[in-house]
Formats: sequence, C-alpha cells, structure tokens
Amino acid sequence: MVKEGERMKKLLGALILFLLTSLTAAYAGFDFSGYLKNETSLRINEFNGDLTKFKNIVQLAGEYQFNEDLALFSKVRYWYDAMYGFRDEYDAGQRYQGHVQRTDWLRDCYLDYNNGPWFLRLGKQQVAWGQSDGIAILDRVNPFDLTEYWLQDFEDLRIPLWMANLNYAPRLNSNLQLLIIPDFEQSTAAYPTAPFVFYSTSRYENWRLAQNEVDVNIHYPAKRFENSTFGLQWSDKIGDMDYTLNYLSGYYYSVRNYTILVSFPLRRWKVERSFKRWKMYGASFNRTITNEGPLQGTTLRGDFAYYDDEPMYWGNPITASSSGIKRLDNIFWLIGIDKYVVTNWLVSFQFAQYILQNSKPGATTSAANYYFNPYTYGPQDPQENIFSLKISTDFMNERVKPEILWSLTDDNQGRVSPKVTYELKDNLFLTLGIHYFYGSLFDSNGQFRDQNQVYGNLKLTF
Amino acid sequence: MKKVFLTCALIALVWGLGYTAELEYFQVHKPQAGMSADEIMQIEYFTKYTKFARDIELNGKAYFIDKSGSVRERSTQRIRITLGRKSDDVAYKDLVTFTSPQVKGLGSLTWTYMNPKKQQDSWLWVPSLKKIRKISAANADDSFMGSDFTNEDILTRRFEDETYSLIKEENFAGYPCEFDKKTYSKDAPCFVIECKPIRSPWYYSKRVLWVNKNTGAGIYEEMFDSTGRMFKTIFKDYQIYNVNGKEYPAQVMLEVKDMRSGHRTVITNSDIKFDQGLSEDLFTERALMQSRW
Repeated sequence: MVKEGERMKKLLGALILFLLTSLTAAYAGFDFSGYLKNETSLRINEFNGDLTKFKNIVQLAGEYQFNEDLALFSKVRYWYDAMYGFRDEYDAGQRYQGHVQRTDWLRDCYLDYNNGPWFLRLGKQQVAWGQSDGIAILDRVNPFDLTEYWLQDFEDLRIPLWMANLNYAPRLNSNLQLLIIPDFEQSTAAYPTAPFVFYSTSRYENWRLAQNEVDVNIHYPAKRFENSTFGLQWSDKIGDMDYTLNYLSGYYYSVRNYTILVSFPLRRWKVERSFKRWKMYGASFNRTITNEGPLQGTTLRGDFAYYDDEPMYWGNPITASSSGIKRLDNIFWLIGIDKYVVTNWLVSFQFAQYILQNSKPGATTSAANYYFNPYTYGPQDPQENIFSLKISTDFMNERVKPEILWSLTDDNQGRVSPKVTYELKDNLFLTLGIHYFYGSLFDSNGQFRDQNQVYGNLKLTF
Repeated sequence: MKKVFLTCALIALVWGLGYTAELEYFQVHKPQAGMSADEIMQIEYFTKYTKFARDIELNGKAYFIDKSGSVRERSTQRIRITLGRKSDDVAYKDLVTFTSPQVKGLGSLTWTYMNPKKQQDSWLWVPSLKKIRKISAANADDSFMGSDFTNEDILTRRFEDETYSLIKEENFAGYPCEFDKKTYSKDAPCFVIECKPIRSPWYYSKRVLWVNKNTGAGIYEEMFDSTGRMFKTIFKDYQIYNVNGKEYPAQVMLEVKDMRSGHRTVITNSDIKFDQGLSEDLFTERALMQSRW
C-alpha cells in the first residue's frame, strides 16, 4: 500500500512537470521554475558520522500572467527525509518530520492585481518586515517552522498564511500596506527524537510518557473574523533614508503548556495550551552613505519593536515545566552595519537587544524561576544582548561563494556556521558547511552542542 | 567693488561652463571632426548610459565561459528610466531581474546620481529571504554579477574618473568574436583614445578605447595593468534603432576576455525597446517587493 502511494506520488510529480512544460510551450503568459535538492547532514560530535538528515526536496513554481495587471502565482514543495526510515532511534519522529505535513506543500498560491497606485495580493503568502538578518524582530507576520532550529533560509522558515495584502502608494517611493490574515497556524518546533528538538520539548515528552494519562487541550483561536491578525506598514523616504512604521495585532504564534493536576474524580494531569493575543508597534530604517567620505558605501539599518502584552511563560528551565504566564511589554531592537572591504568582501555586523519589562517572573523568589524564550522555551535573560558577524565573498566569477556566520549572545553561547557554495555546472550547485554550537545546555544555541554537524546540499535548478 | 563684480562674473562663467559641459539629456549626440578627446569621451559616456533615451527595456543573456570551455548562463530582464533631474540629483534608475532558474527572481534596483562623487543607491530583492535588502555599493573593481566586467566597467565609471588623450584616428581592424565566430565592426572609422584613471594605484593603469566616429559609442577597449601588460579586452557591438525619427545606438552584444584567467563573458541583448513611456513607479522598492519568485 505504501509502495503504491509512493508510485502515485512519483507519477503525480511527473505529470505536474509535463503539464508545466506543456503550458509554457503553449501560453506566452506562463512561466515556471523549480529545483530538486538533497540535503544531507552528519553529526560530528563523536566523529562517528551519525546521519541526521537525508532530505530530498522537489519544488515547482508557476506563474500565469493574464494581462499586465493580473497574475496568478503558485509554488508547491514536497520533501521526504529518508533519515527517519534509516535509523530506528528516530522512528518516533517519522510521522511528523519524515515528510511534508498537512498543507505545508503549498508554499504560495495568490492572485496579484496591480492598478496604478493600488496593488493587491490575495492568497497564501508570506510577508517579511524589518531590516534584521537572521533575527525576527519585526518579521512576525508569519509563524516560523523551527523543526531545524533557525538553520534554514528565512523563506523556508516562515509558514505561509492565507491573507489579503492590500497596498496603496499615495506618492512615489511611499506605500501603505494593510494585512488582513484570517488564517492561523502556530509556530512549529521539532518533534521529540528529532535532531533539533528543543530541550524543553524533550523534557515535557519524557514527563508525559511517564504519566498514566494526560489530557492535552489545545485552544486554537476560533475561526472568526475578529480573531484575524491585522497588520499595517507605512513605508517612505526621508532624504536618503528609507523607513517604515509597523503595527501588528493578532494571536501570538507560540504557546507553552500549562500543567494542572486534577485530583477529582481521578488523580490525573491536565495540560492546557491557549493562544493569546498581542500587539507589536515598530519601526525600521536603512540608509547607505553615498556621499564622498570615509564612510562612503556603508549601509546602516535598524529595527525597533515594542511588544505589547507579549505572552511570556516562566518556570524552572531545568525541569522545563511552566509555572505560569505573564503578559509583558518588551522591547527588541537591532542595529546593523554592512560594508564591502577589499573589493568583494562583504562584512555585516549586527547588535540586538531583547529587553523584558522589569517584572519578576513568579510569586516565588526561587532562582529556578525564569522567563522562557518565546520560541525555544529555554531561559530568557531580562536583557539579552545578541551579536552577529557575517563575512562573505566570491571567487572564480562568483562560481565559488564562501561565507561564515558567527552569532552569539552575552551568555557565552552561540553558533559558528561556515559554508561554501560551488556551482559545479550550469544549474547544479553544491554547498558544504558546518554548524558548530556552543554554550550551556539551557541556552538557545547551547542546547544543540551535541548536534554539531557537517552538511552537504546538492541543488539542481530548472 | 569692481573686483568683487569681476570675481562674481568669473565664478558665473566657470559655473556656466560647468553646466554646458553636461550634454543635454534626451538628445542624440555624435562626435564631430576636430573635437577634443574630452568632448568625444563625454559623448561616449552619454551614449553608453543611454542618456539619449527616456527609457529602455531589454532582455539580456550572459554566458560565463571558463578556459576549459564550460559555460554557465544567466538571463535577465532589464529596464532603465533616464531622469537627469536636478531637484533630487537622480540621473537614471535601473531595475534588473534575473529570469534564469539559478537565481530566478533575484532583483536589483539601482539609482545613479548626477553628482559623480556620489555613490549609487542599491536595493536587492533576495528570494531566499523574501525581502528587500538595502545593499552597500559594491566596490568599483569588483566583478559585475560574476562576469569579467567590473562594476566600474558597466555601472560606475564616470567621465570625471579619467584623463583622456587622442592617440590617433583609424579604421577599426574588426573584432573576431570567439562566441559566434563572426567578425564585427570591420573598417568602422574610429577615434583611438587613451584613458588614464585619476585614482592611483588602481586595478588598471590605462585603457585604450576605440570610439566609433559615426555613433560616439566605444566599441573596443584594451586594459593594461601597472606593468603595462594588457590584461583585458572588451568589445561592444552596437546596432542603430530608429525611434521616432531619432537614431539610437544600442548595445546588442558584448564580449570581454580576461587574459589572466582565460575566462570570458559574453552578453547578448534582445527585444530592445526604447521610449515606451515607462513609469517611474516601476523603479521603487514597492515594485521590487512585488517580485513573486
């Protein structure tokens, strides 16, 4: 039965490819593109070469331009991670991480309408706000897929949502964007036993399995218009500087378990997960210094966000159990500097601060009470200082592209990720790289210190 | 008082001369007999950056060929609007979108200013981020999008960056193109001009440029390093497009050879359209944001 299903999928893939090729030949307004990709990674901590990923991906995107003003665009992606089939210890994750889940195969599906100052994009899509690179400060319109931590490209990290994206340009270089998002998805984390499972998720799973019975109740937002997420962005220029003003109101995409022991009629555990509303006010800017002088060619960029009523969970990070929730007003800001030095070496530096509202987490004064990071549920400092440095260049007419990223926080934890991409031949790319994590087991990056890996990606575009 | 008046008059004259040196936009300028090297080169730059046309649209195809003969291809769609606008100093704006699968959707918006000392502003639509990144201007001697051209060759070199001297006038011997094995521009009447960069040291010590007398277009150049050794040649084939009674010279094929690496780049331009009345709205971040790929 399984083999039959696999055969059907292959046949379906071939049919789609044939259909797209035929459409391109038949209609001038039709265009398509895609890729086949293999991602393989090996854990290197114990130098025994544990396979931690063998993911095969096929992506197809097609566009049909009805006329100058109207276009339909769709992107589908299917993937299968054979590693879960190869290794017994990953069996538990097979169902959730071995292949594409639910409707995640549909990455984009929208209609674009352009008319003078008006632009409308209606359908499943992702919207990126802000100027930060690799840190989601204003980039909170879509939830995130963190099943591979923050290692994927942001296009792959964002979970697309069905929305109406309306834009109006009252004058040249300005734009008012209104987002109405009736769709809701939660940010996802890796399933227990997966390589990049968060420490807190593993702890919870161990605890759950140790109980006779646990009632898990997840309270999703009811499907009503008033439960939609609403976003507003104003973009404009002041002199040489681009700036945006942002506002977002909706349900927070991450949620933490709240565990209660119910004694009557039978002693059993009840786990509640309830999504909360929050608001974000923000602004961003960028400016390249173009005038003559020592700073000429330097780009400055920044994000500022004020999170109103951000749901923060607190508890003991060692047991990873949540003792309660508090709604805090937090600040997250970033400044970034980019400059080319010595011909084609691009150096990008970022500094960010995530500042929690001055409030004690719980009723107790125990040192074991910490706020949890909204994504990883590891302990969150009241003030987190984050740094990142990226250096990239190219050789052989951009055929070889090396890059190194070092991101770290003031807790002496971080990640170093060097990689090099080589264009083997036209349309065929090989990427080799390393992810090296360090820090405490309870820190965002440190929790993966046993997951250091070497990886290789082979990508064929068409 | 008289001295002040004379000084003011002199400043006004110099200022005025400065402006007359800037060729009038949206006109076709051709070299005339007896012109100086500076005058010829002003026309050459004007022609190169298509300042005669209000806008241009074309499809480009680039072939990167290494010395073993291995070929990598990139295709682009390019639009430019010429503004020559003194109020905000914008000379022209370019939007280049990659249409080939390797980097499909990658888009680059560039604003070039009239002030030669001012660097360009550039924005990039990065498909892997699905967002626009303001980018630092790449250094002038960096490769232009992986080709054997530098950014300066294609985008940033200005008339003010070099000094010029007329070496001779001759009929061009013809360029034997390695890409399609044809011989181009044979016997085209040319000015031969030596161009020396003001910036020193720089990645070239001089270039010798053949400028077509009929069009003002630079068709062939040889670049020399600090030891006087030729390290790069560039050939550009121009065709004349008749647009509303005006003759517009347009680059249809470019071949550049790097003698040091044995690498070549060939760019072919097709579907060239001038003066379609493109709106400046197409050259904004909002337009870049509408990229679907």
